[in-house]
Formats: sequence, C-alpha cells, structure tokens
Amino acid sequence: MLPVLSVRHLRVEFATRRATLTAIDDVSFDIMPGEVLGVVGESGAGKSVTGAAIIGLIEPPGRIAGGEIRLRGERIDTLSAAAMRRIRGRQIGMVFQDPLTSLDPLYRIGEQLEETIATHSDLRGAALRRKAIELLSEVGIPAPESRLDNYPHQFSGGMRQRVVLALALAGEPELVIADEPTTALDVSVQAQIIALMKQLARHHRVAIMLITHDMGVIAEVADRVAVMYAGRIVEIGPVRDVVLTPQHPYSTHLMGAIPRLGDTRQRLVQVPGAMPPLAAMAQGCAFHPRCSRAFAPCRIERPALRLHGSTSVACWLYDDRWEAPL
Amino acid sequence: MDDAKLNEANPIGLPRNASAIDAVLDSDLLHSFLGSKLTVAAALVVISITLAAVLAPVIAPHDPYDLRSLNLLDSQQPPAWLKDGDWRYLLGTDDQGRDVLSSILYGSRLSLGVGVLSVAFAAALGVGLGLCAGYAGGALDVLIMRVADVQLTFPAILIALLIDGSAQALFGVHREQTLVLGGLVLAIGLSFWVQYARMVRGLTLVEKSKDYVLAARLIGIHPALILFRHVLPNVMGPVLVIATINLALAIITEATLSFLGVGLPPTQPSLGTLIRIGNNFLFAGEWWMTIFPGVTLATLVVAINLLGDWLRDALDPRLR
Amino acid sequence: MTGGPLVRVDNLGRIFDVSKPWLERAIGRAPRQLVVAAAGVSFEIGRRETLALVGESGSGKSTVAKMVVGLVTPTTGEVLIDGVAMHGATQAFARRQLRRRIQMVFQDPYASLNPRWRAFDIIAEPIQAFSLVRGRAEIRARVDELLRMVGLDPADGSRYPHEFSGGQRQRIAVARALASDPEFLVCDEPTSALDVSVQAQILNLMRDLQDELGLTYLFISHNLAIVRHMAHRVGVMYFGRLVEMAPRAELFRSPRHPYTHMLLDAMPDLAMTGRRRKPVEGEIPNPVDPPSGCSFHPRCPHVKDRCRLERPQPRAVEAGWVACHAVEEGRI
Repeated sequence: MLPVLSVRHLRVEFATRRATLTAIDDVSFDIMPGEVLGVVGESGAGKSVTGAAIIGLIEPPGRIAGGEIRLRGERIDTLSAAAMRRIRGRQIGMVFQDPLTSLDPLYRIGEQLEETIATHSDLRGAALRRKAIELLSEVGIPAPESRLDNYPHQFSGGMRQRVVLALALAGEPELVIADEPTTALDVSVQAQIIALMKQLARHHRVAIMLITHDMGVIAEVADRVAVMYAGRIVEIGPVRDVVLTPQHPYSTHLMGAIPRLGDTRQRLVQVPGAMPPLAAMAQGCAFHPRCSRAFAPCRIERPALRLHGSTSVACWLYDDRWEAPL
Repeated sequence: MDDAKLNEANPIGLPRNASAIDAVLDSDLLHSFLGSKLTVAAALVVISITLAAVLAPVIAPHDPYDLRSLNLLDSQQPPAWLKDGDWRYLLGTDDQGRDVLSSILYGSRLSLGVGVLSVAFAAALGVGLGLCAGYAGGALDVLIMRVADVQLTFPAILIALLIDGSAQALFGVHREQTLVLGGLVLAIGLSFWVQYARMVRGLTLVEKSKDYVLAARLIGIHPALILFRHVLPNVMGPVLVIATINLALAIITEATLSFLGVGLPPTQPSLGTLIRIGNNFLFAGEWWMTIFPGVTLATLVVAINLLGDWLRDALDPRLR
Repeated sequence: MTGGPLVRVDNLGRIFDVSKPWLERAIGRAPRQLVVAAAGVSFEIGRRETLALVGESGSGKSTVAKMVVGLVTPTTGEVLIDGVAMHGATQAFARRQLRRRIQMVFQDPYASLNPRWRAFDIIAEPIQAFSLVRGRAEIRARVDELLRMVGLDPADGSRYPHEFSGGQRQRIAVARALASDPEFLVCDEPTSALDVSVQAQILNLMRDLQDELGLTYLFISHNLAIVRHMAHRVGVMYFGRLVEMAPRAELFRSPRHPYTHMLLDAMPDLAMTGRRRKPVEGEIPNPVDPPSGCSFHPRCPHVKDRCRLERPQPRAVEAGWVACHAVEEGRI
C-alpha cells in the first residue's frame, strides 16, 4: 500500500544575520492511508516547522534545504506556489491551534463552508447547502441549519474548533495536518474534540498528522507517534510501545516528567537544562549534554534511526556496533 | 554538566561580559541602519545641517543680525558664481544687504530649535496625559480623550494662529524674542500633543493588564512610579517614531507660520521667514533670496522623514 | 504570629459590570449586564499547607486568586490573612505590613517580567520597596543568593528577559516572589505555559522551596495531575463557585461531585489502559446568561428537577464537603 505522505531526509534552514540555523534535519517518516501519526515534542523541537514544510508554508528567510516530500507518490516540495495552493484544502486539510484566527470573523460560517466546498467540488446551490449542513452535523454541531447563518464569534471555543474541522474536511482531503488543535481548549472540551477527530478519521478514511506537545492527546488518538528533539526524530513507533516502553533516553525522560494521576512518586523525573537553541547545538547527538546515559560515541557522531523491536530509535545505546556501559 | 551551565541564557549572540558598546555595535538596529544607503545618507544630511546650525555663530561668514555690519550698497547681490556676484557673499544677499548663506545658517538654528522644542513639549504633554488616561481610566480618561477629540477638529495652523494672535494682543507686536519663541513652541506643541496621547493611551491600556504591572501593584508601588518606571519604557518605541516624523511637520508648521507672518519676525528670521521675504523678490528676478532657504528646508524635512520611516520599520517587531 | 489558619476566605464574591457604555444602553434601551465571576467562595489554608483550586476557564479561580492577594476588590465577603483583613477601610497600616509576606507567581512567563528591566532589577524591586536590605553590595548579595536558589547563575542578573527561555523566566519570577521573604505564595497556573520537562523542574523547585522555607501555597491550575502532585487539599471550582473540597487522597480516591468525575475522566490515558471514557456534553455556560439552580445542571448526567430550581449548599462529607443535590440525596 502506498503511503499517503512520504517524507525523506527533510531539512529546513533559516538564514539569519549571524548564522544559518537548521530548524529540522534529516527528518523521515511515512503516513499510511487512514492512519493517525502523532508528532510530539517540546517547543523548539521543530514539529510545527515540519508541518509547515509539508503544506508549503515556509516563508523566507526559511527554506527547504534538502530532502523530499511526496503526496501519494508525487513530489510536492518542488511545486510552485500556485500548484501548492491547489493542493492545500483539496488533498491536504489543515487545522491550526487558534480557531479565532482560522475563521474569518467577517463572514458567516455557512458562507465560509460553502466557499471551501465549492472550490473543491462541483456542488452548487441547494446541494451545496445540504453538504454544508451535513458536515456541520457530522462534527457535532447541534441544529446545523440555523447555525449556518451565525458568525464565528457567536460560537464557543470548542464549537469553533469543530467548525474548523468541518472546513478541513470540506475538500475531502486524504491527509489532515493538525497543529496543536486542542491546546487552546478547556480540558473537558479537549476530550470531546479528540474523540471527534478519532471518529472522523475512521469514517472518512483520512490520515491525520497530529502535531502537539501534549502526550496525553497522542496517547488517546494516535496510532503511531514520532518524538522530536532539536529538529530530529529520536524515536518513532506504535503509540502503545513508545508510551509504555520508551527506548530513547529523551522519550523516557518525557514520559517520566508528565505528572500522572496514578503516580505515587514524590518528585517528578527531572533532567537538567532545556532543549538547546538552534544555534547552540552540541556536536554528535543533540541530547547528549543532558543525557544520563551518554557515552563515547554520543559526543562525536549523530545516531541515525534504527529499528529496534517495534520502534525505530536514534540512539547509540541501541546500535549493535557499540558496547553500551551498563 | 551542572545545572547552571545548562541553564545559561542566550548562548548565541554576545558572551556574558560584553560591554554596552559591543552590544550597540552588534545590534540588529545598527545593522539595519547601515544596510540602507538612503537612511545613512538621510542621517548624514540631518547631522550636517544640525551641526551647521549649532555652530552658526562660529562658521557663518557674516552676522546677519548685526545691523552695523550691513551695507545697503551690497544689497540684492546675486550668488557668487553669477555675473555681478561677490565672493564675499557666496549665495548672494537680500534686500537689506544680509548674506543669504549666513541667514540660512542662523535661520536653520531657529527652525530646528523651534521644531525640536515644540516636539519635546508636545511629546511630554501627550505622553503624560496618555499615560494618565490609560492607567486611570474612568472619568479622567473620558475627559482627556474628549478634550483631545475636540482639539483634533481644529487644524494645527489655526491653533497656532490663535495662540500667536492672543500673544500679540497681550504683549504687543514687538515683543521680546524669547517670548516669540516661547509662544511659537507653545502653539505648535499644543497642536500636536493629541497623537501622542492617543497612541500612548492605547499602549498603556495594553500594558496595564500585563502581569509585570500586577506584580508591581502587588508590592504596593505607587501608581505614578509604576507609570514612570514600568510602563513608560515600554511605550517609548512608537513615541520615538512619531516624534521623528513629527519633527519634520513641526519645522514645516513653523515655516508656514513664519511665512504667513505670525511666526518669527524678519529681524530674527527662520527659514520660513526667509522664504517669505525672498518671495517678494522672486518675480523681480532675484530668485536666490527664496530658493536657497527653500531648498534647505525641503532637504532637511525630507531627510528627517526618511529617518523616521527607517526608525518605524526597524522598531517594528513584526518585520524583524 | 497568631495560631490557626494563615489564610481565611469567607463568602468571597466578585461581580463584573460588562454593560455597554451608558449612552449606548440608553439609546438601545438595553439592560445592564452583570457577570458573576465568583460567588460564595469560602476556604481556609493552614500554615505550610498547599491548597489547590482546580477548574477550567470561567471557573473564577484566577479572580479568587487576585482577590486573595488584594489585586481585585471583592464585591462580597472577606479575605483574612493572619487575622488581617485584605480589603476594607480599616487596618490599612497592618495591610501594608502584610504585603511583604504575600507574593504571587503568574502564569505567563512572557508577560510577568518587564521586558525593559534587567533580571537583577526585577528581583531587587521588592527588596528595595520593602527596604529589607540596604546598600548596593548587600542588595547584590541577596539577589545573587535568590538567583542561585532558583537554579540560575548570578551573572545572568545583567540580562534582559528576552534572553531567557520560558522556564528560566519563570525561575526569575519565583526569585522575585521570594525576594520579599514571604510566607504565603499564590501561584496562578505557574507551569501552564511551559514545556513538560521544564514544568517538572519548576514544580520540583517549588516543592523544595516549600520544605526549605516553610511556605504556604495557594495553587491554581486546570491540570488535575499537577494538582495531585503539589497539593495537600483540593478545591474544585465550576462557573464561579466551589463545588467540592477534600484532602488530596480522598478527592482522587473517591470524587463526589459529577463535575469532579468529569474532570478526572477527561484526563488522558497515559497508562494506555484503553479505558472507555464517557464523553460529557456541552461546554461552560455563557456567564452573561447563567443557568438557574445548580450551574452544572445542563451538563450533569444526574440532573433532576430540583437541580434546575435550587442551588445546592455545601454538605460535609468525610474530611471535606460537596455541593450537590444528587450526593445529598444519596443518588450517587
């Protein structure tokens, strides 16, 4: 089966006055049809940059400096701006964090929905309106016929995000890229939106790339998860395995630092320091200055992703060529 | 590695013990300034004219105010490079025998002086009122803003004329120079304070709800101190931009007032006055009396505007 | 220092007037619009104890926090800290003395530090305001000590906030809060804007400081897992009112109020147990048009007629209390 999205050795650079900074380096992954891939990382890890690169929204002084991105086998990273515009919305839908800025406050929801549907289909008139109502009810908006005529500010935060989901699906895309879709919402509403996304993915057979810093969201909705650190993927695999038995020391630390309800520990697992800024990346493995298990090769060379059991890990500890100290 | 080293702030950029001069030299602002040739040229123009104006008593070949040094026989001489020109009077003389070049130098002094002072006055008044209106809110805010609204309905020139006219009525036409200057600064300043007040009020409203202001209120810092030490530094950026562009406008306004005859008198002419006086002789063919001061004024104003444009773009965080 | 609880809050409430300006109202004949941000909030905090207030947006927890420290004036009720009233016409002198002993750590590390001030000046401000230490060398020594206490290098005092990361800024905010040598710290979602690993550092730091310095905390959060880590007692707020209060272990072991159940249910399943969650309907009601009776009734799975008519009163349960008709009637 051909993956919906295939990213190989993607590299994005930002040219600043002092130096050229590498935001993401050698990022590779696939997303299968209907699959939900979670991309998790803290701020500065490069997950939003990855999403932006895929939908062609990297603006100068940033640029895609290497690698390739394929949508259903066809390269999209080399397309012109106009061609990319056609792909956005039709084949790739987008959901961003802040529904207030995703929706145009001056136009009614119905108008925005119908415009999007009309751009990507042949429906017109009554059929168009019916489709819009259908989409709204599918995302769980009660009394959709009357709500078509409301403006965005007349909806609550959770409702707005549902409308944004409806807009993302209006073009019947094969892939939806969602960047922190639940971060701005209340906890109880988050749970609703997460459940909705899961349901929509199954129903529409749409693949989702879910970018977030919230591991909890990933655990609920993703099939596979990629953990990013300092612009690289350090671990990628089935969500159950990565969450319950993380292999990479950073993933272990990340899971350990999350306070959980079932916890009886006194202190949260804490690792000194923070993610290095782009310009101050250490040589070798980017995590080694903070890693409690760093040894000889970590300072010298960057490890590549290697399959180890069911997950792929980028860590010398799992590389057969090296004898890791116990 | 120990915690403190890992928590080290800003590892790119300057090392910890960099001096203030290093910080300025390395700053984005300086680089953006040097990167634009037009801005550098504009800055050079402004600096040269300002220096020339400040040093006028030292570098001017003649003193146009010293009545005894004037020679009516030398009046209405054309610029030196033309026929009948005299190299003692490089740009020619006016109808009283005053050297045009020296008049321009002294006149620039007055134009710049009045411009800078009136902008400073407008800024001080406007920023002060804006801070109070924004922070206090309620009735004080409404009062200040309505006064501002009312004043905006009057064009700056009218206000200036009004004040100037009242001053004339009160103190007579031939009042002392400081009074004239003071009246002009007051007039122009009063016509410009509103834009500062409005901008600063808006910015203050935003800053007032930020947590660092709450933290200061929490420890009981007096509101005036909060305004002055906490809020003011954060609203100065846009104020500087307005002030720069305002300076050009203030200079033009003074020139206009002088041209209309209610600004500086011919005995102590600013660039505007010089243009007015020279205007009478323009069609008689004695163009140098009005053109040279006019060109100086225009160049100065354009250069200041360019600097203001650059400053606005450089200070805009969104464009970085 | 008197005995008894350090902080006592009694029937605290705050109403905001969000009406349109009177001219517009007069022309449009529109009524005044009032929003009840908080009402009937009562609790106590013992010395060296951490009380957490948990709730989502619109719960009023931030408003309560600001009333407790004196930044917002309550419309009803009172706040007593070590016996001194925080608001009101009397005791103004005692209140000034009290300010030194109360501090606050804010949520947004980017807005809680003045971007034009150096870290050193930010931390030194309370010291100078209360004249705790005099002389430049002494103040410098104290600020350096505070920086070290929060895990930063004293040399960083000369830097500006934008040169620090979010976690480091929050450390500076904590250092500033400790500068006046307070006893009582109100923390308004101090780690919500931080990454998980930095959050862990800051939370651990705050617990260590509490042990070392004997601090009392009022901890505001929307994240129950964090609350479980930090608090001794927990109060759950919904739509401006406290609905449940219990010691930590009891709240998590046997939550009573339906909203508490819902919050716990909404927590992500990081143990991957695959537990099925019962999705709760609806969202926070519009504060301008509040529901009658119990404000949770539109979303409550146990709603009955009485819930729509009568607001439930707090009833003692084991070591805490709950305000819910269903619990009172023994239905759940």
